[in-house]
Amino acid sequence: MSEVRLPARERAALLVQLGVSRLLSPVWIPFTGAIMWLGLGWRVAAAERAVARAEYRRLRRESKAPILICANHLTMFDSFVIGWAIGYDRDYLRDFGALPWNTPETVHFASNWWKRVLAYLYKCVPVRRGSDRAEVAKVLAKVRFLLARGQTALVFPEGGRSRTGRIDVSAAAYGVGRIVTALPGCRVLCVYLRGESQKTWSDLPRRGERFHVSVACIEPKSDQRGLRASLDVARQITARLGELEQRHFDGR
Amino acid sequence: MTAKEIQDRVVKILTPYVKDEKALASAGPATNILEDLKVNSARLVDVVLAFEDEFDIEIADEDVDSVNTIGDCVALIEQKV
Repeated sequence: MSEVRLPARERAALLVQLGVSRLLSPVWIPFTGAIMWLGLGWRVAAAERAVARAEYRRLRRESKAPILICANHLTMFDSFVIGWAIGYDRDYLRDFGALPWNTPETVHFASNWWKRVLAYLYKCVPVRRGSDRAEVAKVLAKVRFLLARGQTALVFPEGGRSRTGRIDVSAAAYGVGRIVTALPGCRVLCVYLRGESQKTWSDLPRRGERFHVSVACIEPKSDQRGLRASLDVARQITARLGELEQRHFDGR
Repeated sequence: MTAKEIQDRVVKILTPYVKDEKALASAGPATNILEDLKVNSARLVDVVLAFEDEFDIEIADEDVDSVNTIGDCVALIEQKV
């Protein structure tokens, strides 16, 4: 596939961001965990968290093939909780590439200088959803570049927070498939995360929320070509998330 | 096939996805699909797949990046047919 190559200046900027973020990570990683744990009282079910962390660690160790993390999306802080749920702080400090990059909506996470500073430190590549296609393509190219360098990224295949509170397979954003199809051997770690009191979408999980997490690794492939292949792969990922969701509710 | 014929078929394909029908009535080559017609960006890929079926062409992922206006669609399809 002849995807557009990211310009050298953009690649260099990402590597500088990675370096700065890594340099300051001994401060911000434990600080973020402390805010979630102590400040907000959030907890992740221990047994499920242990399984998720073991699976993610196994994936990182077994191969250097790219890993894209795809998750359901219910709150604006899902990426923080997911990062926390699938890895230990000490793992991230040792293997900084394991801490996923994020593609938050510019309106929410890059609208003023202090949010931009935080987004920079927190390994974010902001995207303006529904913007000019070339701009979106550039963000996808950045994610591909990072994955190809051993970094991981977390994306939400539904494109935004689920308004129904449930996975909508028909809402699969083809850009996710485009990332996967452009990276041979790319593995996808599907992550389903949900707070016990999370009925539908919201900005922030409630204080004291207890989260449940489940994961499944897939290597989606498609016999189709071009756009149809990307869409097919995106739908396979969303369908797997839908299965994890079904299992979540069956088990309650 | 003339550019006008392609444009008419493009507009017909776009119609079910358009939220601003008033803008569609006066649509021309410079009409922006996302901003003027308010087509949901997530549905743009369905529109492009419909172009593939309608004109029996194949459109690559990267080609979608250049699609912003109706004129862009017409130019892209003209290249492929």
